[in-house]
Amino acid sequence: MANSESLDNVVLELRRGVIVLAVLSQLSDEQYGYSLLKLLSDQGLEVDQGTLYPLLRRLETQGLLESVWKLEEARPRRYYIISAEGKKLLPKLKKEWAGIVSVMDIMLAKQERRK
Amino acid sequence: MNLIDRYVIEVGKHLPLLKGREDIEKELRSTLEDMLEDRASTTGRLRDEAMEIELLKEYGSPQKIAATYNPRPYLIGPRLFPFFLMVLKIVITVVVTVLLILTGIRAVTDTPFMGMDFVNIIGRGLGGIVSTAITVFGNIVLIFAILERVLPDAQIDAMKTDETWDPASLAKEPDPDSVKRGELITEIVFTFVGIALLNLFPEILGMSYFTQDKMFFIPMFSAEFFKFMPWINAIFLAQIVLDIYLLRNALWTPITRVAKILIEAASIALTVIILRTPNIIGFTAESFKNLPESSVNGESLMKIFNLSFSISMAIVIIVAGIELAKAVYGLFKTSYRKK
Repeated sequence: MANSESLDNVVLELRRGVIVLAVLSQLSDEQYGYSLLKLLSDQGLEVDQGTLYPLLRRLETQGLLESVWKLEEARPRRYYIISAEGKKLLPKLKKEWAGIVSVMDIMLAKQERRK
Repeated sequence: MNLIDRYVIEVGKHLPLLKGREDIEKELRSTLEDMLEDRASTTGRLRDEAMEIELLKEYGSPQKIAATYNPRPYLIGPRLFPFFLMVLKIVITVVVTVLLILTGIRAVTDTPFMGMDFVNIIGRGLGGIVSTAITVFGNIVLIFAILERVLPDAQIDAMKTDETWDPASLAKEPDPDSVKRGELITEIVFTFVGIALLNLFPEILGMSYFTQDKMFFIPMFSAEFFKFMPWINAIFLAQIVLDIYLLRNALWTPITRVAKILIEAASIALTVIILRTPNIIGFTAESFKNLPESSVNGESLMKIFNLSFSISMAIVIIVAGIELAKAVYGLFKTSYRKK
């Protein structure tokens, strides 16, 4: 029980770090919250609504996203798109991510071989 | 009004008071409508109340959803916490030490070293220390909870000395205009404790006297003293407001220095007026009359308390004088450097 709980926590932490990068990478075209959620989920990244919506607001406050309300099918939807500042940050984040992945790949491969 | 509307209103009730509340509600409604539509089209069912209930159950309780929007789901955040601990340790140590000394003095001067009176005084003294420590703790938590919410993030980040600390700063002259945060926060805490003690718990300030079956209490201050409370409070509050402003701005300016000079001058003036007012202390020949004759030497106690009151007031004047001099010096130094 304790083990599976700590596994869940570690997985949650790992995913939490990735979500910002995932969101910024998917918002070069504008998306509203639910469509973004589905877009991420279709590609295999399940994100909780309770995580995504507050995150979108936070990224907007930080100036990395912009948003605009549009009326569609008689329903107002808030569309998010990456801002100029976000566009500047994204390549740096991608590079960081690639660095982490390659370091971890090598580290884990070595550990595999030692077994 | 359907279930979705009610749900959104319920979430709104629990949302923290921040900008964009209505926006959050509008976005939530739009999302839930999208999800319902999506669910109806994928399952081929018609949208009905059962489907709404199903969806809302999956989405989570209004409290839980509202909580995810809270940017500060804590009383004192991780960035201020080390600072909070530091101030807490200093203040509690000072307060407990002072009270322990006072209890000791009281136990020695009021009674012979043995007997129930002595035990009583020690016991009550220790009890008083515990409750005062808890009150002080509560005040410090309250102050930091407020600071957490009024200080801009950049200011809180700047307090992290380990990250902003530069070894080169050891060789550099400190900027005479930069404020000392530790001093300011400690001052806020003590001023706050002072306000709380004088306004809410004046009964702590005084002398309890136990005979075999009765307890006598002589308040430290007379009604004359409490007539000054509005002025004392005004000065204390001005001090706290100035300190919080300084914490937010991190730098002394001519205006804040002048404000500081005015506050210190006002506290010196008030202290002098209080000192010159007759019958300001509760320990008078009158109040000792009620005590059993044998248990106390009223005359000498009165002298001791009058003297210690005068000494404490003198200390207040000296400290305020030093602060005033520092502010005047800073004011002139700044204007001199600018020339």
